[in-house]
Amino acid sequence: MEYAIETISLTKIFSDWWGRAKVYAVDELNLQIHYNEVFGLLGPNGSGKTTTLKMLLGLLYPTKGKALVLGGDGADPKINTRIGFLPEESYLYRYLNARETLDFYGRLFGLPAKVRKMRIEALLDMVGLKAVANRPVGTYSKGMARRIGLAQALINDPDLLILDEPTTGLDPIGTRQIKDLILKLAKRGKTILLSSHLLADVEDICDRIAILYGGKIQAKGHVKDLLQQTNKRQIVTDAISDETLEKIKQIVQAEHAGCEVTSPLDKLESFFVKTVEEAQQQARVTSGAVSTTQIGSFLVPDAQQENVLDKLVSAPISQQGSSEPPETKQAVQTDKKEVAKPDSKLLSHLTQPAESSQDTSTAETKEVTTKPVESEPDKQQEQFDKGILDQLTGHSSSRDETKGRTEETKEGDPGNA
Amino acid sequence: MRNIWAVAVNTIRQAIRMKIAAVFIVLLFVLLPIMGFSVTGDGTLKGRLQTFVSYGLSLTSFLLCLLTITVAIYSISSEIEQRQIYTLITKPIRRFEFLLGKLLGVVLLDISLLALFSVIIFVITIYMPNFYQPTEEELTEVNNEFYTARASLIPAKVDVSDEVAEDYNKLEESGQLDQFFRGFTRKEIIDQLTKRRQLEKRAVAVGHQLRWQFHNVEPLDPNESLFVRYKYDVSVNPPDSQIYGRWIVGDDRQIKYGTKFRTPIYSGEQKDPIRTFREIEVPADAVAEDGYLSVGFLNVPLNNTVVIFPLEDGLEVLYKADTFTANFIRAVLLILFRLIFLACLGVLSATFLSFPVAVVFCLVIFFTGTVSSFVLESFSYLSESVGLIYSYTIKWIIQLLPEFDKFNPTKYLVPGRLISWSLLSKAAGLMVCVKASLLLLLGLLVFSFREIAKITV
Repeated sequence: MEYAIETISLTKIFSDWWGRAKVYAVDELNLQIHYNEVFGLLGPNGSGKTTTLKMLLGLLYPTKGKALVLGGDGADPKINTRIGFLPEESYLYRYLNARETLDFYGRLFGLPAKVRKMRIEALLDMVGLKAVANRPVGTYSKGMARRIGLAQALINDPDLLILDEPTTGLDPIGTRQIKDLILKLAKRGKTILLSSHLLADVEDICDRIAILYGGKIQAKGHVKDLLQQTNKRQIVTDAISDETLEKIKQIVQAEHAGCEVTSPLDKLESFFVKTVEEAQQQARVTSGAVSTTQIGSFLVPDAQQENVLDKLVSAPISQQGSSEPPETKQAVQTDKKEVAKPDSKLLSHLTQPAESSQDTSTAETKEVTTKPVESEPDKQQEQFDKGILDQLTGHSSSRDETKGRTEETKEGDPGNA
Repeated sequence: MRNIWAVAVNTIRQAIRMKIAAVFIVLLFVLLPIMGFSVTGDGTLKGRLQTFVSYGLSLTSFLLCLLTITVAIYSISSEIEQRQIYTLITKPIRRFEFLLGKLLGVVLLDISLLALFSVIIFVITIYMPNFYQPTEEELTEVNNEFYTARASLIPAKVDVSDEVAEDYNKLEESGQLDQFFRGFTRKEIIDQLTKRRQLEKRAVAVGHQLRWQFHNVEPLDPNESLFVRYKYDVSVNPPDSQIYGRWIVGDDRQIKYGTKFRTPIYSGEQKDPIRTFREIEVPADAVAEDGYLSVGFLNVPLNNTVVIFPLEDGLEVLYKADTFTANFIRAVLLILFRLIFLACLGVLSATFLSFPVAVVFCLVIFFTGTVSSFVLESFSYLSESVGLIYSYTIKWIIQLLPEFDKFNPTKYLVPGRLISWSLLSKAAGLMVCVKASLLLLLGLLVFSFREIAKITV
């Protein structure tokens, strides 16, 4: 069991009715994915990504070659208990509501009723569908369906997550949440294999990638290795004076190298997230005093998710601790928020004293909207401390986290490129 | 088991929430009561009851058959076509568990709907006499011939093979075979001779007597009646088309000089029209303790013609062997077996056919099954000319056809005939244990080897 996933010259030929070979969907694919790695399978449409995933899971049979998943056959129920799978589209039972959907899948894993209920609530909270959990999923929008699809993939607390284009149909905030979630899961020791053609997503979260075209691997390796331009250097500074800039230019020119000075652009994603977040805060201030119980629609995700998740999951494990720690955490959170978000600092200061304590708690949960979404049930004993840690780092640090992580793995993981 | 149950529950939910079942349920809820009040039959109370039970049960059975086919196929093929199965089958569930769960769901749905509608039919049937003002006679007729489960005994066929063989040899020796039976096969000639000989055994010359012996007659209650049902055929038509006959019913073994009868022997003279069914009622205490009964017919010299009792239905003894309720329950069970068979058929066809094709396939099997005896018969005629190829290929497939007409419950309920446990177990054995399980097994086999995600165009 050296690798979480290993394929040995995996080949899939789709043939027509007469048995004549028509398409080489996957061609002699050799793939090794380590444990505790986020691996991205990239490629244009029809490059064999989905076919590969389907063969890993036994939905298609390879024409030739072999696929080992967690050291066994991906169609074996024993292995399946440790896998979470999100297909390219969330194929859901239209007539079930979100709760029933998750309950159905939970039953298949033989989860006892109590655990099932707990995990369902936690997951619904996490993907932000609690408010619409009683609506048939057939009425969901594509993004909502995607969220419930992700929730079902996590119901069994899998060791290996196979995600086929996890962020399709999601708005930027949802995309960001899922990306953050994936990173968190990876941090918890899960192995994640995802396929995508959204390069930005892959770049942000994957340790290693492979680019497929025509069913063959065209390039693979660590993201950083593949992208680094070794003949260029970039210096990022705070806003400095023009004289200093001139000096630097002179130094550079002395080396006979080209030099280009620009103000760095904010990533559109970060900008978008920031804008929406601010808009949400304003809405909360105006309506917050009137209706405190009203949680926003699914599109307005909810930072309280994390707290609820931790509370729910840890409740049966440590009974006596369940009532106390969230409160201390709440306190930490409030403090932290003020530091992390200078923009909203004033606003929240103004509103908080006026509202009742109940109001404050809901209001503040709204403000931390885009914080990385906390993940999975189970093994959450130490979750409280962890939760606080997450709060402390805040959403802004998640990017750095990624980079740090990639480097770590790179070091601890001998050559693969 | 846990997985099977989860899938079953999901299937039932689908059938109910997708309104597939609702259509059928509403239809039956509306049609059954309307039928209860609108049927008239031949105008008598018995006619009404017979028509209602016949139409009500047939309609329920037919609609539930359609429902079973649709739900069984749809719930599987929609999962494959809409690809929910990708998510499902990658969970720790085995493929056979998936199929069995679907089957269980459909069967549970069938059982509950069948129970619901048969209770409705039953209640309407039982209370129907209260809505009309039947005469005393009508009530007795209905009680004797409808609200009952009468077992029927037909005299055993006499073995005439020796005589037939003799006849055949005689004809062959005298060279008359070609004269009378030109162009017939040996089998056909034997058949004709046998029929002739057997009819001889059921013919009564003037002044002669014919006696039939029955064993294992077990009336439910000796205070009730038993019935001798017969039809006369004659060699020469009497002027008024009527036959005088003397009937003797009872235990004839006790007729010895100087002994007293332990069970009564009934006899009476009767004048009946020819070629129509008649019944005479005899108290059931005529049956001996060991279940023996003899029925004798004396051709009164007045008739002046030979009386023949036709081979198929010339004579039978009927007696109440069970209650109407018990019979009705068995009738409903017969329908259930039919539904189980169709559910298995649906599951099988959905494993390799797309929805519309699978439905058509199942409907063809269903309708062929309702006329199975006709199909079987016509193919067995064919077999003589096609021979080997037939007997090794089509014959087996034909044998797999469900015999819905053979186990049609209304055929028994309408004339108040007993659906015996042996018939019921035969239906269960043939239709469910052998044929349905064979189909299911085949379905499991196909499904566990097919590629789930294969795109079939």
